[in-house]
Amino acid sequence: MQPVRLGRGFWTVTAILAILAVGAIVFWYEFPLEKYLPEAIVTARQVDTLFRFMAATGSALYIFVGGYLLYFSIAFRAKATDPPDAIGVQIHDNHKLEFWWTVIPALFVVLLSIVSVRIWYEIMLEPENGVVVEAIGHQFYFSFRYPQINGEVTDEMHLPRGVPVTLNLTSADVIHGFWVPAMRLKNDTVPGLVTTIRFTPRLDGRYRIICTQFCGVLHSEMDKQALVIEEKPAFDKWYKGWQQRNAHTSNALPAAGGQAVALQGGSAPAGQQMFAQKCSACHKIAPFDEKVVGPGLKGVLHDPAHPNLVNGQPATPENVAAILQNGYTGSMGTMPNATANGLSAQDIANLVAFLDSLK
Amino acid sequence: MAVAAVSAGGIADHIHPEPQGFVRRYVFSLDHKIIGIQYLITAFVFFMLAGLLAEAIRTQLLNPNGGFVAADTYNEIYSIHGSTMVWLVIIPMLTGGFGNLVFPLQIGARDVAFPWLNMLSFWIFPVSGLMLFSSFLMGAPTAGWMEYPPVSLQGAAGTSMWAAAIFLVGVSSTMTGLNFLVTILKMRAPGMTFTRMPLFVWGQFATAPLLMIATTALAAALAALFINRVFGVPFFDPTKGGSPVMWQHMFWFYSHPAVYIMILPAFGIISEVLPTFARKPIFGYKLIAFSSMAIALTGFMVWAHHMFTSGLAPFLQLPFMIITFVIGVPTGIKIFSWTATLWGGKIHYNTAMLFAIGFVGLFTIGGITGIFLAAIPYDLHVHGTYFIVAHLHYVLVGGSLMGVFAGMYYWFPKMSGRVLNETLGKLHFWLFFIGFNLTFLPMHWLGIEGMPREVATYDPQFAFLNQFASYASYLMTFAILIFFVNVIWSIRNGKRSGPNPWGARTLEWQIPSPPNYYNFKHVPTVYGLPYDFSQPLPYKGLDEELTDAPPVAAGAH
Amino acid sequence: MTAASLPLDSHGNVDQLYIETRELRLQGFLLFLVSDCVLFASFIFAYLYLRNSGQGWPPPGIQRLDVAFAAWNSVVLFGSGATMHYALENFKHGNFMRYMWFLLATIVLGAGFLGGQAYEYTHLIYGEHVTWWGSGIFGASFFTLTGMHGMHVFIGVCYLTVLVLQSAAGVYTRGKFFGITAGTLYWHFVDVIWVVLFSIFYLL
Ligand code: HEA
Ligand code: HEA
Ligand code: HEC
Ligand code: CUA
Ligand SMILES: [Cu+2]
Repeated sequence: MQPVRLGRGFWTVTAILAILAVGAIVFWYEFPLEKYLPEAIVTARQVDTLFRFMAATGSALYIFVGGYLLYFSIAFRAKATDPPDAIGVQIHDNHKLEFWWTVIPALFVVLLSIVSVRIWYEIMLEPENGVVVEAIGHQFYFSFRYPQINGEVTDEMHLPRGVPVTLNLTSADVIHGFWVPAMRLKNDTVPGLVTTIRFTPRLDGRYRIICTQFCGVLHSEMDKQALVIEEKPAFDKWYKGWQQRNAHTSNALPAAGGQAVALQGGSAPAGQQMFAQKCSACHKIAPFDEKVVGPGLKGVLHDPAHPNLVNGQPATPENVAAILQNGYTGSMGTMPNATANGLSAQDIANLVAFLDSLK
Repeated sequence: MAVAAVSAGGIADHIHPEPQGFVRRYVFSLDHKIIGIQYLITAFVFFMLAGLLAEAIRTQLLNPNGGFVAADTYNEIYSIHGSTMVWLVIIPMLTGGFGNLVFPLQIGARDVAFPWLNMLSFWIFPVSGLMLFSSFLMGAPTAGWMEYPPVSLQGAAGTSMWAAAIFLVGVSSTMTGLNFLVTILKMRAPGMTFTRMPLFVWGQFATAPLLMIATTALAAALAALFINRVFGVPFFDPTKGGSPVMWQHMFWFYSHPAVYIMILPAFGIISEVLPTFARKPIFGYKLIAFSSMAIALTGFMVWAHHMFTSGLAPFLQLPFMIITFVIGVPTGIKIFSWTATLWGGKIHYNTAMLFAIGFVGLFTIGGITGIFLAAIPYDLHVHGTYFIVAHLHYVLVGGSLMGVFAGMYYWFPKMSGRVLNETLGKLHFWLFFIGFNLTFLPMHWLGIEGMPREVATYDPQFAFLNQFASYASYLMTFAILIFFVNVIWSIRNGKRSGPNPWGARTLEWQIPSPPNYYNFKHVPTVYGLPYDFSQPLPYKGLDEELTDAPPVAAGAH
Repeated sequence: MTAASLPLDSHGNVDQLYIETRELRLQGFLLFLVSDCVLFASFIFAYLYLRNSGQGWPPPGIQRLDVAFAAWNSVVLFGSGATMHYALENFKHGNFMRYMWFLLATIVLGAGFLGGQAYEYTHLIYGEHVTWWGSGIFGASFFTLTGMHGMHVFIGVCYLTVLVLQSAAGVYTRGKFFGITAGTLYWHFVDVIWVVLFSIFYLL
């Protein structure tokens, strides 16, 4: 085997590539990302940091791979003067080289894992006790629920700056994706499942909310709503406005059909069957404390220890029906609404009759 | 063990007489070479259709308000575009097509292990393709190539047709994988040990188990979706206790390995083309072969990186992220080895070589953005956006499709006895290379800035880059048109190639072009790697091969 | 294998072609069983996934499955595995008639298992109103998986019947009996799958 001598221009090229690589690294660290896309929440900056790190190292790596590729392709082309059967240097391998180009990427993988995991933890470890808000995907809009606002907020989502938020996501029909590019954060809204993201708004502004999971014909139109981050007083004003606006919609807000539910004529056996199909995933027929996802429901209507429902209303058939109709988000999580559970008005009447029959 | 398959009186000496008649020879052929060509032709037809759909996508997106087609039609278009490109174009071309055509020749076999099964696999493929396209008549699927329920449960009747069609191509793929695996394990020529197999064979060997195992899992998923839609059996229906997220697990358990099905054979093609035209042994043969196997194996352990936003438990996500990063290491080994193969070569610039080098350059970009996506915090930003569209086209078009083109320019002489026109070829390459980058590079930025994928209309702020991409994609179409013209022209008028126009050293080039029906008069004995340009060819029993008359058919029937 | 059982061609020579082809077919057949296994594994995964995503199993409103009956039925199926084993052994040792009887016994037991399953289905559907589509994830996974397995048994019974006819016509000789080997492998495979299904549906 011939001794390996690197071509004459090799080191010159290496030097040029190194300069370009440094240039690329500087470029990505100087690039004003936030000018194009504001960093609306605290962890958005971390994600951008990760991006800069990957873009810088990735570009540098690519400059070397692509640069050598180009350089070798040009430098080692067969020349017109070469005899037609000229062959290249017959090297099969070089264990030292192969060792290093396995080990260095492996080390880089370790580094990248550490960086990513750390940033990911920061996203995961946002405070748990923030304001709880709920976003529900619908074909083809998002609605939002706030504590102490009846029913749903249907146009915009407002959040006060600086206050940690726990956002529960669920869906009334199919999977949607809840994405605010300015937050660098998204999660799917899955029917029958509640997923949670947490963040702290840091920059006032109006940001687009975009659906990123194909959800039907009008998926493309599901990018018109906004997340507004604002000062606390402005937020409070907006919040009061909705409280008043929805004061009378109360919990009879029609998620499914429109009419208030008529509870007469509910059939307990039919309700029992329905319960087995639709509710038993989250509820046992057992005392309140035996939770699965939601509380045990044996005594919802007849347990002296629990005179009130989770939403603070007295335990009456009407109020239970309202929970079934509208769903409810409290300390345990989200109880899906009638659309998500696939309940008709008659189903609700049956279910209430069944729950009423449990003593 | 390795040589057990061949001894006197065995399969290697058993030659059926060549069938006569057009139908037996070219339609229901049992000959792996013919079947390979059938696969390629069929897949290229589907490629034209899916490519035209792609141009319909780009035409719709010229304008923020769309206007070329209605939103529903648009959704059908990209769903069929993605499904066709994946299942009816790239996978059949790389496995059924080039696999059939080349690797039995490279290991010195007379045919694949089960020729009849091979024929069946092929014929299922166009039928399922027709089924897929016929779904347009009853309302094609709209939820993309991954058809996530529950929205796919709401889709038109064509969605069930889609599931049935993909199920069938899947059956065909599974049978091909099984066939290839047995062939490689059992039918190598004497002396063709595993460490002497050409790298294209290694590529197929790594792919075959993926085809067999992953595709069967997909079949289960599709069957479940089908019976959910047709009989209302609630696998995925959340209102009846089913789980939509389960579909995602089942689908990606197949579809991540599937992306390696679409790249490992292309890696194999590149590993043949580069040493041939650089007149140099491939650098790091063993490590390249080994890394194919490593990629195939780890490919099964990373599927949930497509599901970082679907509400998986956080502690489950972490290993998926890290194993996905790890896949970069064996892939990097390949990239570096190919680059090193060029060093010190005497490179001849044939179009096949241009595509091979282009492959290395473009695939690496797609691979690196893949690493971006594997990092969970970043994926939480760009999942479901045009950044993903950019990534997938860099690996699939810049990778797999460039690999297909390299293979076409390289092996066209073996199929037809003629060389593709070089002037048209080079024009094809350069226009395609430029058009491709101009089309898909801007999409990275679109995704980062906030453009979701699978949308028929979009916010006007993205108009400029979209128009730019659309016009560039027309350039790409033009380039591909040149390719088709080239193929059609060269079949009749191309320069005659002779057996070995490139001075290549693998076995398939040591026999006539196109090869005889029985491939080898005598199955040769192999005593070395094919990549040593300074050594004589490592095959015995080949010299008389090119001139002799066909051998007398042995075997009684 | 003794020399006497080597496959011979029509001239009485050792049939090398057959030996090599048999090796290919064996390997191919084993790989087919592997991918069939993956098919079952996928549905089993789906079942366990669904089962663990809800509350308790079986879901409220549905009775636990009747273990005793299914256990007896399993015994029938495992018995057929044993008879199949003896069928092959007897064939290899040249006891053709005993082979035929064991093969027939296998078919009868296999059909018996299918009958038992049919009874169980009828009972579930008409007695307890559990259906494939109408009983949530329980009906979905139970009928899909056991139905798939039943299909496999059914195909096996048909195949074994063909074997009986072929054997009677003298298709298989002492050296050339791949069809019987394949049938045996398949039958054992179907048994093993049932062990898994029985444990996860009736015992778990
Ligand atoms: C191997 C796979 C592959 C290939 C080769 C391509 C090739 C192309 N793709 Fe595709 N694409 C996918 C796989 C592929 N794609 C997948 C999996 C998706 C995701 C789908 C989903 O979301 O579900 C996707 C989605 C996708 C989108 C996003 C759609 C959306 O999210 O809304 C876009 C948008 O620009 C696009 C564009 C293109 C273009 C311009 C090409 C071009 O490279 C095409 C070039 C080819 C041609 C133009 C053919 C030319 C033919 C002729 C010239 C012959 C003329 C014909 C006759 C005379 C009959 N593709
Ligand atoms: C041929 C097809 C192909 C290939 C080979 C790949 C290869 C890779 N892909 Fe890609 N991918 C797709 C096709 C493919 N992908 C498609 C079609 C989708 C979209 C599906 C859809 O939603 O429609 C997708 C989506 C996709 C996602 C999901 C994104 C999302 O939806 O949120 C992720 C996330 O991890 C990912 C990652 C990767 C990684 C890490 C690789 C790696 O294998 C890449 C390895 C290569 C390199 C890293 C470059 C070379 C290496 C070096 C130069 C060495 C040094 C580098 C390091 C050590 C880091 N891909
Ligand atoms: C996805 C899980 C889920 C499903 C399915 C579900 N629930 Fe609930 N449910 C909950 C949770 C969580 C709560 C408690 C909300 C809280 O206070 O945090 C709840 C609360 C309730 C309450 C109020 C209990 C109380 O003591 O105040 C009733 C009543 C109720 N659910 C009935 C039903 C019925 C009837 C069904 C079936 C149609 C059903 N739920 C389905 C999760 C679910
Ligand atoms: Cu909602 Cu897309
Ligand atoms: Cu993947």
